[in-house]
Amino acid sequence: MEQLLEILNPHFLLRNAFYAGLIVGFVCPQVGIFFVLRRMVLLGIALPQVSNAGIAFAFLLHTLGWHFFPHMESEKTMALTGSVVFALIAIFTLAILERKQKGFTENRIGFTYVLAGAVSILFVSWNPYGQTEVLSMLRGEIVSIPNFYLWSMFAIYGAIFICIIGFHRNFVIVSYDTDMATTLGKKVILWDIMLYLIIGIVISFGVMTVGPLVIFGFLLIPPIAARMVVRGILPFCVVSSVIGTAASFIGFYISYRFDLPTGPTDIAILCIILVLLYIGKILIRLKR
Amino acid sequence: MNTDNCITLENVAIGYSGKVLLKDINFSINAGEFVVLFGPNGSGKTTLFKTILRIIPPIQGTIIYGDGHPTRFGYVPQRQFLDEIYPFTAEEVVFMGTFGQAKPFCPTPKANRDCIEQCLKDVGMLDMRRKLFSELSGGQKQRILIARALATRPNVLLLDEPITGVDVLAQKKIIELISDLHKKRQLTIMLVTHEVHHIPSWVNKIIHIHHYKVVLGSLEEIISLSRIDEILT
Repeated sequence: MEQLLEILNPHFLLRNAFYAGLIVGFVCPQVGIFFVLRRMVLLGIALPQVSNAGIAFAFLLHTLGWHFFPHMESEKTMALTGSVVFALIAIFTLAILERKQKGFTENRIGFTYVLAGAVSILFVSWNPYGQTEVLSMLRGEIVSIPNFYLWSMFAIYGAIFICIIGFHRNFVIVSYDTDMATTLGKKVILWDIMLYLIIGIVISFGVMTVGPLVIFGFLLIPPIAARMVVRGILPFCVVSSVIGTAASFIGFYISYRFDLPTGPTDIAILCIILVLLYIGKILIRLKR
Repeated sequence: MNTDNCITLENVAIGYSGKVLLKDINFSINAGEFVVLFGPNGSGKTTLFKTILRIIPPIQGTIIYGDGHPTRFGYVPQRQFLDEIYPFTAEEVVFMGTFGQAKPFCPTPKANRDCIEQCLKDVGMLDMRRKLFSELSGGQKQRILIARALATRPNVLLLDEPITGVDVLAQKKIIELISDLHKKRQLTIMLVTHEVHHIPSWVNKIIHIHHYKVVLGSLEEIISLSRIDEILT
């Protein structure tokens, strides 16, 4: 209890990490909903890996003294730019190939995952300095988040959340029934681009903050768990975010209490919630 | 019945990626008519249907909509193409019909909620509104999709194979429902089917796709052509 009060104290030393976790837990499931409903779960594994490769590439350039823009000397800004650029290139290339029906989706995503994983390792190994620092960022530095970074995250994820809520009907109709959306006068390609853009930004920013594994977990596990117990799209969205936020809160508390790494603890909590909901669903079915 | 031209196709060629599937298509549908688009599987019915709906652009020719009046389509797709992973309730599926008029960041206006309720009543599914769409029977799903199309406040209702894969009783009920809507709401209706016995005897017009040609025909002509095809195959 003492530790819980400590975490909730506004002057808590690791409060930025705690708040960042809550933001990720609340917003990522709203984006993950579309991964699950559009059956793009595999893309949820591949994109964080691509984002990772972007970070490693940016660090390599930074170490070699090259910058994306003049005077861009902050490592984190470089890494974020690399992460966003790589994620967006990958998502739009995959979307174009999907539209043109070139080959099998699974093959394309599998190839992207393997390629991104391999080049991430190569970029890190070619980096003559600071391998430890790069690897620490790739793991997700959830415990040391500066104020500026937290506020940027709050602004970006907040804007994305508002977009998803405000344009929810458009995203839902173009995902569920493209033909119907067209007859209603919706520009399907534009809404798809906007959704992909949101996905790219959420993943690249999230990977920088909490790492690829945690982002993948928060994107997918809350919607999968929520889908088992809800009826209707509105409860589905609400329950997904509730599960994500609760897992982030409980995960942070447990990791602080027992001195465990926060990211993997969060994922373990998400998995426990998923399994409990599944068992609960089976028990209710058996009672009926 | 109003004799205004509702949809007119002039020398239209249709297909995908520049590849022509059907050409020299010429026909018109008058406002208030009940039209059946009939042809065997793979004949290009759905492509023609989607071209009329503006989902696929025509490769050649022109399609004229209405006589200066805006044409609003109510579209009923083949239900098996809708993914059941979405946890929609029946009411939420009907709600989609109002998305064309919905403004971003605004709550659903009361008029739209009333419209949804009325559409559910019209198809006899009001008491099923809270059920998951994926848990409904084939016939019930079809009714909900018709209600969704009605929620767009259409003047033309287009139904793609609405009675395929449902039991005989449900087929009869769906045809009765479509017929009622045609009479009560004075809707122009275009129904796509590949089975002769799904064509109601009282339809105004039958558009028949036969050996890659689009022709207008009577029910008797189509039945005899289908029998000849059956004998030859």
